[in-house]
Formats: sequence, structure tokens, C-alpha cells
Amino acid sequence: MSVGSSFLGRGPDPVEIGPRVAVHLLNRIGFGARPGDVNRTLAMGLDRHVQEQLDAPADPELDSRLRGLTTLGYPIPQVLALYNADQRSIGVILDELYTAKIIRAVHARNQLQEVMVDFWFNHFSVFVQEGFTRYYTAAYERDAIRPNALGTFRDLLGATAAHPAMLYFLDNYLSRATVAVNGRLLRGLNENYGRELLELHTVGVDAGYTQEHVVDAARCFTGWGIDNVSTGGRFVYRPALHDTGAKNVFGLDLPAGGGKDDGDKLLDYLSSHPQTALFISRKLAQRFVADDPPPRVVDRAAATFLATGGDIRAVVRAILGSAEFWAEAFGAGKPKTPVELVASALRAADAQVTNGRAVVAYLQNMGMPLYACVPPTGYSNRGADWLNPSSHLHRMNFALDLASGAIGGVSTDVRGVVRRMGGNAEDARSVANTFSAEIFGKGVSRATLDAASSVAPGGPVSVAARVAGLCLASPEMQAR
Amino acid sequence: MAWDISRRVFLRGAGLAAVGVGFHPSSLVVRAADAAQAGSRVLVQVFLRGGCDGLNLCVPHGDPEYYALRGAIAIGRNEVINLDGQFGLHPALAPLKALYDEGRLALLPAVGNYTLGRSHFDAQDFMESGTPGNKTTATGWLDRGISRIPGSAVMEAVAFSSQLPRSLLGPEPVLVAQTLATFDLRARNWRAEAERLLRAMYDAREDGVGQVGRDTFEAMNVLLRTPAIMAPPAGGAVYPSSPVGNSLRQAAQIIKAGLGTRAIFVNVPGAFDSHSNQLAAHTLEFTRLADALVAFARDLGGRLDDVALMVTTEFGRVAFVNGSAGTDHGSAHCMILLGGSVRGGRVYGSWPGLARSQLYQERDLAVTTDYRDVFAELARTQLGVDASSLFPGYTPGPGPGIVS
Repeated sequence: MSVGSSFLGRGPDPVEIGPRVAVHLLNRIGFGARPGDVNRTLAMGLDRHVQEQLDAPADPELDSRLRGLTTLGYPIPQVLALYNADQRSIGVILDELYTAKIIRAVHARNQLQEVMVDFWFNHFSVFVQEGFTRYYTAAYERDAIRPNALGTFRDLLGATAAHPAMLYFLDNYLSRATVAVNGRLLRGLNENYGRELLELHTVGVDAGYTQEHVVDAARCFTGWGIDNVSTGGRFVYRPALHDTGAKNVFGLDLPAGGGKDDGDKLLDYLSSHPQTALFISRKLAQRFVADDPPPRVVDRAAATFLATGGDIRAVVRAILGSAEFWAEAFGAGKPKTPVELVASALRAADAQVTNGRAVVAYLQNMGMPLYACVPPTGYSNRGADWLNPSSHLHRMNFALDLASGAIGGVSTDVRGVVRRMGGNAEDARSVANTFSAEIFGKGVSRATLDAASSVAPGGPVSVAARVAGLCLASPEMQAR
Repeated sequence: MAWDISRRVFLRGAGLAAVGVGFHPSSLVVRAADAAQAGSRVLVQVFLRGGCDGLNLCVPHGDPEYYALRGAIAIGRNEVINLDGQFGLHPALAPLKALYDEGRLALLPAVGNYTLGRSHFDAQDFMESGTPGNKTTATGWLDRGISRIPGSAVMEAVAFSSQLPRSLLGPEPVLVAQTLATFDLRARNWRAEAERLLRAMYDAREDGVGQVGRDTFEAMNVLLRTPAIMAPPAGGAVYPSSPVGNSLRQAAQIIKAGLGTRAIFVNVPGAFDSHSNQLAAHTLEFTRLADALVAFARDLGGRLDDVALMVTTEFGRVAFVNGSAGTDHGSAHCMILLGGSVRGGRVYGSWPGLARSQLYQERDLAVTTDYRDVFAELARTQLGVDASSLFPGYTPGPGPGIVS
């Protein structure tokens, strides 16, 4: 297969394959280029790279980096047992979760897989510090999100709906049928999950559903609960708590007498609804293409969603195969979220991450603590929402600290990187040119290149560290 | 009162003098001085994210339906901090009673707007754009407000938030900050070179990224050269070490430093989305809020005369308790107003009642005051701007008359 034959050049203006396009691809389907990636990707062919990312084969090198993080695989009852024995144990477990997130973003070969896990966790967001969500979050990402990140939307939706993290975070484990006792109404319903299922997870707030639909959606899930919140943490269905009356949710009629399947049928219905296809496609296009994605690419992705029964891999492929996606290679780029900025800077510096704790503190200061979005909306998917002076100062400082090797748990050798890439680490312009080519596909402005090239020789901080720091703090680094 | 005025002038003068220390005359100082002369009143908006239950904040213990509707989460008659026989404060807000009695704090229940769909995001978006129902409004209402004040210094509007609030979205520059104390580049042994070269990069860039870089360096310079920003709280004020406490402490520092700041937005994430276990969540959050507001008033002293602070949230909650000792999303909420020129010691607005026929859609407290009328009143009194066209498609009424 020749370069670009299947994915590229579908639009009216075929794009010219080169470093800039390769950098665009690496920035959008992953967390940016590591030194050497641009040439490697061009040599391999962009199509093959995309296909490999969609296939997400085994990654033994990543596995070995994660091997020391022993709590990652703990089932929920084990996490709860440890907590009940010693309350401090959860600190280690969360540290390992955070470290794993950073290591994966920086070192995973299957970058698209990590982007999708990040995307879906945020779409089905839970706040890690909310009560018992703390003990369920690692399992939630591992068991509900990750296995389905490139699978079908229905499986993903079902896995989140029945997971203790979601059942707890959106209070559904407390929700039960409202009943009349001696003529008095005993209200049992909790609307939280029913509302967010429609508004945030599936059809979207503008789909046209009503308050009555929200109530009936919540009624479908009465009885979906958690078997012993503090020691068990498994899904359980309690028939006695279920509201068996008839329900109508946004066009789905469910007759009286249903049980757990009321919820399953509603998930079936919503996951194949055209509004869901549109809502999810738009959000994916916002992640991959632009803050305000062109309607054409959204419509194309939505059509694929419906035609494939919500096959996420196919939808992503449709977006990556659009002319609109490739045209973005020549725009100003989409501002990075803090997570994207941090991960891409670590990759650009060829950093080796062994502990994520220090990195997590920077993310907190940038306004994006990991797994810690308080409202169920998740963090904004729009890059422009992340630009502000406070966050920007921390972004620049992260870059400067990273290049000078001042971040705990992270090792960098900027001079070694420059030498390996054929540059002269003692010469400012050579260092700047190296980063320009390796990280930005030579897409940096003259002003940035000149500024980075004009650091003074000598001084206590090496030329290479200063130039690299400036490149990673540059305007170009803020967008992808 | 005369003493208050002279003290105010003195504080402002002290702040400006501090700006000049070790800093050559520059446009920044001149702009700050201009802005300060143009008016020194300040509008502070505290936004409780999540939909704070107004019926638990200003408890209508005199309404005959209240106890039946609220059941297990009702605030008992012997716990509520009675204000006027009809309404009372949640017990965790007890520290606010003194401010209420002194006439500097007012409450406005039943405020809101029905165009909200009970979605957090939409309700916040509508309130912050000031155009309920219209999602395409490009600017926030506070941005439009400050755009009518001459000048565009970065310090004119400050948001204590991790992200730019929708209220301040628009062409006016805004300093968004979580912590002012460490607002500096970290490039030990090469800071001057780093700043010079980074500025060159961002100065050459025209788009939003370039703008945010330039705003960052401007804010850095103002803050680094204003030691008054780091002044400890005055009047023995003690702020709680909560997000709202830290933000209001810094808001007071900014106000006292006299940098020409006219609008301050304080973003408060917290356990306000109380679908379950509402009593415990509110005891924690309301204690933080009350302690922070009391410290803010004490810290500002006479300067509080220039400040009007409003506490808002995107919506209130259902009038009746749900199945989880919590409340689901509702409509009208309750505002708190605090300031020297607030005609306090009163509960404002018209009370719609809690009987089934009085509830909106038989579930929510009804709206009797549109929040835009309150926003408009504060825009007039604090920003000194004409508020009649501040909200496209809506002409605000005369306002509740809370702030003079």
C-alpha cells in the first residue's frame, strides 16, 4: 500500500505527506511525537501507523514499565479489605493509578488506545474523591473503560452503567421505587443517573427529552445497586427495589412488569439512537479535529456509528479518514488540555517516567487534577477553554523544570537527545533546530526559533536545557 | 462614615505607592491609576457550582409545608438561625447572623430563571452568558459589563478559578489565578533570559495562545511589583483553609492593593450537588462559606463599603426530599448579598410558597426574581455602567433594590 492511499487525499486538496503531516497525526491520535517518531512514522507510512494504532497490539515494553505498580490489578474487594485494615493504604493505590496514567500516556506504544481511555473516562466521568468512588475508580478504568475503549459503544455504556463507581458517584445505588404506604408517598427515586445518562452519556442535552423522561429513565434503573458498598463493591440487582410500572423514555415504551431488563433495554435503545450517534461523533470529532468540528466530519462519523452498531473503532477510523482531519495539519492547531500538554512535553523531552506524583501536582496547578473533575460533565473537551494566565504560567514552568531535570520521578537527558538526533548540544541554534524538526515538524515560527536560538553561551544551566525548556514553553507547544 | 472614606483613600494610595516601588513609571502603573480613579467600587461574584439548595440555605421554617416536604433533611425549628419568623439561616451559616443584624448582609430567595432544563451545564451557561435559552452568545455577562468601563488592564477582572469562567468569556483580558503568591517564572539562574525570550515568542503570536502568554507576563509583572498583594489579613480576620477561603482571602488582597480591579469572580467547587446525604454535605460546605464571608468582611474593614458580593449558584433543588436524604435538580435558588452598601438585615423578594399548587411543575420552588435583574443592579451600582442592554433580548427590571 502506498503512503496515504487509503486515508489521505480524500478531500479536494490531497495533503502533501511530510513531517508536518506526521506531527499532526502523532499529536492527534496520541500525545505527540518523541524524538525520532516523525521519521519513523513517515518511513512506516501513515496508513500503516494509523492501522497499527487502531489494532493496538500487545505492548510488552509498557507492561514491564507498569510491572512494579502491583496494586493496579487489585479487585475492588481487595482494595476495600486493605482500606478496612489500614486507611492509609488507599494513598498508595491512588498514587499507582496516577503514575500508571502518566507512564501510559508517555510510554505506551498504543497511543490511540490511551487517548481513547482518557476520552471515555472523561465522558463517563466519576470524581475519584467522592466517597467510595475512591476505592472503585482504578477498577472502573481498568474493567469498564479500558477493555471497551475501541469496542462498541453499547458494551462501554453497559459496563459503566453497572459499575460500582458510576452507581455510587451518580447515587443510583440508593435509588428505589417510590411507593405509597398508608396513603402517603414514600419517595425512593434518585434522578441523578437517569438525567446524566441522557444528558451527558448518550443523546445529549439538546436532544429534546423532558423532565418526565428523566424521571422514567431513573425509574428504569431502580434496584441497580452495589452489594455492600464498604466491603463488597460488586454490582447487584435488587428486584424488591425496582419500580415495575410502565415507563416512557424519549420514545421508548416499556410495559409494566419489567425488572433489571428495563435498564438494559433503555441502554440498548439509547446506544443505537441517532441523537447518540450524533452527540458522540461530535465529541470525538472535537477531540480529534477541532473545537468546533466541521459538520461534514461529524455527519460522516455519525453515519458510521449507526451503520456499524456503534463500533467505536470504525467511527474513529471514519474521522481519521476525513479530509477535514488532515486539513487541520495546516491550521493553527487545537489548544492542548493540561494532560495533553504535560504528556506531550514529557514525550518531546524523551523523558523516562518512573513516578507520577510530581507531575500530578503540576496538573493540579494547571486546573486538571487526574480523575478529579467534580461535576459529572467531565473536563472540557474544548482546547480554548484551557487557556488562561494562571494555567499558562504553570505550563511554562513545567516545561522549564522538565528540561532542567527538576521534576521528581522523571529523568531527562536533553543533551543526549540532541546528540542522538544528530545535533550539537552545545550550540543553541542546533538544539532549537533539532526540536523544531523532531517535535514540530519544522512548524515553528521564525520568532520562536530565533528566540530559542539566542540563549547566551555558558552559565550554570546548560544551553541544551535552556533551549529545550524554551521550545517546550513556546506558543507552538501549547497547541496540537 | 467620614473616617471610612479617608481610610479607603489611604489604602488605595498605599497600594499605588507600592506599585511604584522598584518599578519605573510604565503604562501598567498609569493604567492602574486611571482605572482606580474612574471608580473604585468592586463587584464580587461567588459561584457555588453544583446547584446549591436554596431551601437549606435560607430555610423557610415559617412556611406551613416546609417540614412535610423536607422530612428527614428538614432543619429543625430549634436548630434554624431565625431571622424574621418566616426565614432562618442554616445552622452552619450562623456566623453570618451578625452581618445580617448589622445590615450588611441580605438574602434573596426564589431567584432564578425557568429556562434551565435542570442541566448543570446549561443552567450555568445560561446564567453566565446572561441569555437563558441562547447557547450561541459569544460573551459572558461580566465581560460585557467590564467592557463598558474604560481601559483594559489585565487586573480589571480577576477570577479565582482553575479555568476562565463563562461569565468573563470575551474580549476583555482577565487574570485567572488560583494562587497569586507564586505567580512567577521558575528558571533559577536564568530567569531574566527566560522571560525575555519567552516574551519575544508570545509577542510575535497573534492568536489566543499569544494573547494568553502576553496576559500572563503582564499579570506577573503587576503581581511581582505589588508587595501589598501579599499583605496578611487585617482586622484579625481568619480565613478557613478551604478553596472559598483561599480565594476570598486573595480577593481581599487584590481589592486592598488598589490595582483598579472592578470585578472578581470566585469559583467554588464543592459538595453542592446534594443528591444524597445533604445534611452532612451542607454542614461542611456552609461552614466554609460562612467563615470565609465573615473573614472577608472583617479583612476589608471600611473598604467593604465599596464592595458588593453576591453568592450565586446555577439552580436550586426540588422542594421535597428524594429517596436518598438528598434533593434532585430544581429551579429557584437563593442568593446571599454582602457589602457595605447592601441594604441588609432583610430577606428580599416575593415568597411563592411551598404548597403543591405553588410549586413549579409541582416539584420546584417557583421563581419570583430573575437573576438578571440582580446582575443588572450590581452592574449599575458597582461597575457604574448602563445595564439596560447588558442582556441581549432582555430588558432588566428596576432590580430588587438591595444595593445602594
